Amino acid sequence: MEEAIDVDGCLRRWKKGDEAAAEELIRHLFPVISKIVRLHLPRRDDETDLVQEILMKTFAKLHQYKGDAPISHWVSRLALTTCLDRLRAQKIRPEVRRADLTPEESDVFDTAWLTGSSPDASEAIAARDLVDKILSSLSPEDRSLILMVDLEGRSLQEISETMGWSVSKIKMRLFRIRPQLRQMIQKLEERT
Amino acid sequence: MNPNEDEKWQRLLLRSTPAFAGETAPPYGFVTGMLAGLRAEKRQQEELERIGWRALLASLAALVVAAAVTLSVNFRDRGGDFEPGIKTLVQMENIQVS
Repeated sequence: MEEAIDVDGCLRRWKKGDEAAAEELIRHLFPVISKIVRLHLPRRDDETDLVQEILMKTFAKLHQYKGDAPISHWVSRLALTTCLDRLRAQKIRPEVRRADLTPEESDVFDTAWLTGSSPDASEAIAARDLVDKILSSLSPEDRSLILMVDLEGRSLQEISETMGWSVSKIKMRLFRIRPQLRQMIQKLEERT
Repeated sequence: MNPNEDEKWQRLLLRSTPAFAGETAPPYGFVTGMLAGLRAEKRQQEELERIGWRALLASLAALVVAAAVTLSVNFRDRGGDFEPGIKTLVQMENIQVS
């Protein structure tokens, strides 16, 4: 990824205590972290607080950044690890059933087949909540993995770099998750 | 396995995509709060470093004093041939040492 700012210059200036450099870095990294946090956000966690926590961690560990990869990659990994740690602290939910869905989520599930106009904001949120519910019975790593592959469309190589796993491990995991997902969708089709 | 489930899953994800998009800019007051947090962190780190240096200097000073005391006691006792315990015993028993 192309860096939009002079990261090395900002790091040098920040080391000398220049707050303007820190502000530049915060504004540059905010969208990167916000995207990851929203995708892998643990339930009931405040998004802005988590972004702030990750940014504070980033600044505390800046001396470890070697500059051999774009800073956004390095920060992505830190953000994902923090989200996964939070997710691990939460209990894995039992499989979701039709009766657990809100009326909005139920509507979204039934109309998922319909193509055409893009969903409005409330539909998109209901769909997101439903996706969260379906994925909440998976382990945090599996949940993140499936979202990176299916929602973000990231390559296995990219995921390998972010998660620190081998490509074959990722393939194995995906092979195991797919049937679970199908089973969950099938269960939701059952109305009773 | 029914491929319908896979397709339904993909469509559900497609519908949820707009809600998963992150913010492009920090909310109002976020950067100010972050900078204040970084300042506080930096101050705390400097304070800890100062405390660390003071502790190091204090322990060095204590070490120097202990070494000085040991050396001065050693020099004062150099006249005798015996260890302090044996010297006390010799004095108590009034043993003649030639």
